[in-house]
Amino acid sequence: MIRTTIAFFAFAVVICGLIIFRPFAEDETVTMDRLGVPPLTDETVEVTRNATPDVVALAQAAAAAAAPLAVYPSTGLVDAPRRIDVARPSTDDTRLSDMTNNVLAELGFAGVEPVTTNSQAQRQSTSDILAGIEAATGQRSILEERDTLEAIVIAALRAGESDESIDIIVNNAAASGGVAVPEILVTSDGRVDTHVLLNNIVTQAQIASGGEAPAVPNVTPDNTQGVEVRVVQRANDEVEARFYTVQRGDSLGAIAIKFYGNSSEFNRIFDANKTLLSSPDRIRIGQRLVIPQLDAA
Amino acid sequence: MIKAAAVAFMASLMAVGSAVQAQDVRITTFRADSTFTLNGQTFTVTRDQNTRAVVQGDYALTSRPCPSNCIQPMIVANGVETLGELEVLDFLEERVTGGVGLLLDTRAPTDFATGSIPGSVNVPVTTLAADNRFRGDILRALGAIPQVDGSLDFSGAMTLALYSGGVWSDDAPAAIRHLLEAGYPANKLFYYRGGMQAWAHVGLTIHQPQNPG
Repeated sequence: MIRTTIAFFAFAVVICGLIIFRPFAEDETVTMDRLGVPPLTDETVEVTRNATPDVVALAQAAAAAAAPLAVYPSTGLVDAPRRIDVARPSTDDTRLSDMTNNVLAELGFAGVEPVTTNSQAQRQSTSDILAGIEAATGQRSILEERDTLEAIVIAALRAGESDESIDIIVNNAAASGGVAVPEILVTSDGRVDTHVLLNNIVTQAQIASGGEAPAVPNVTPDNTQGVEVRVVQRANDEVEARFYTVQRGDSLGAIAIKFYGNSSEFNRIFDANKTLLSSPDRIRIGQRLVIPQLDAA
Repeated sequence: MIKAAAVAFMASLMAVGSAVQAQDVRITTFRADSTFTLNGQTFTVTRDQNTRAVVQGDYALTSRPCPSNCIQPMIVANGVETLGELEVLDFLEERVTGGVGLLLDTRAPTDFATGSIPGSVNVPVTTLAADNRFRGDILRALGAIPQVDGSLDFSGAMTLALYSGGVWSDDAPAAIRHLLEAGYPANKLFYYRGGMQAWAHVGLTIHQPQNPG
């Protein structure tokens, strides 16, 4: 009896040892993730326009990228690199078109009436609620004043700032968490896309003054990086499908302008890629997005 | 002498009896009403004295579509106690009157405007969600104190009882989850599961806003 027990125990110890040390395990490789994005080591260093790249950090990152994955000798387990999620500016569900509309109205553009943005509506309902709590507790509670993206852009445009300095002003404000920005302005590397912001102001101003809506550009794999055209076989016909691989610095608004000429068409891309994008600001370098044809929708 | 005392005793019994007769529908045998104050304003909750009254309007609905109006569990979160009507009245008489508690109506403002539990404050569930940039202001108004590191200290915050439309409404449970996620201590939160529907169903006083809209 006792011999049987000891035999079982020894067997269990050997099995446990095999599980922990895995002497016959093949070299583990780190596979690509579900989205086909290789494990990113280049995201450890951010190079932005208003920051000088840190050469030492860059060299270290390059060395880290070249170095093999660390393997713990005791366990033989591979220390897989973790995805470093980029910090993103805070967003709210204010539509870029509403915001632009109010910037134009504030700048005195003829025929443009201000509208209530979602952000203002949220602010108004919150101040109503605070009034209710205040009536109940008798304690004064005031809504903190916050800068809005609108106010920053209006001030910068009035001051005649250049596009570059508007980019710096807006990004500094967003990085400090002071303002929320429309989701489609968030880029794949966690910045605010001021090109789209300014482009949209120009586009809406043109349309408001009776101008033409911007033309739909002709995008081909030859003239644009990251574009692929594939022929997809369907039951009784074949269609050409366009794909676009997200590049560093792309925002959903920028991709919409690239393919449709207008950032307000972003919903076509977002709706077609709901499985990849949980919200318009969760755009990442290397994601492969389907770009629907304009007339198809 | 004994006879006179007996008559007086009978008379007093009859007086008590007629007083009881005057109010047929009490909250409990020994409790005809509940009175509490909220920031100097006094509210009295009684029950509808019409013994033939039936539930009318929205509160008579039995089959709201689920999802999204699904039946809620008795306990919605660890450490958050669930209340019935009497406990809600106790909460109003003790904590709300004492200035250390608030009864929150988590429904949308339009629903709140159709009538609410007396002494309740409207804080819609959506305003407590993490994506409301102004949530911090609401939490501060409820007594949370911002710390230097950006977190909130809830040690002096109000004790809250939350309710919504009824047992079929996820609004109050969702609001409780949002508050817990924001760091609100579970022992400062209570859940009135019955909500407006259960409140109306036993004919308790419903507060109608003076200026609707």
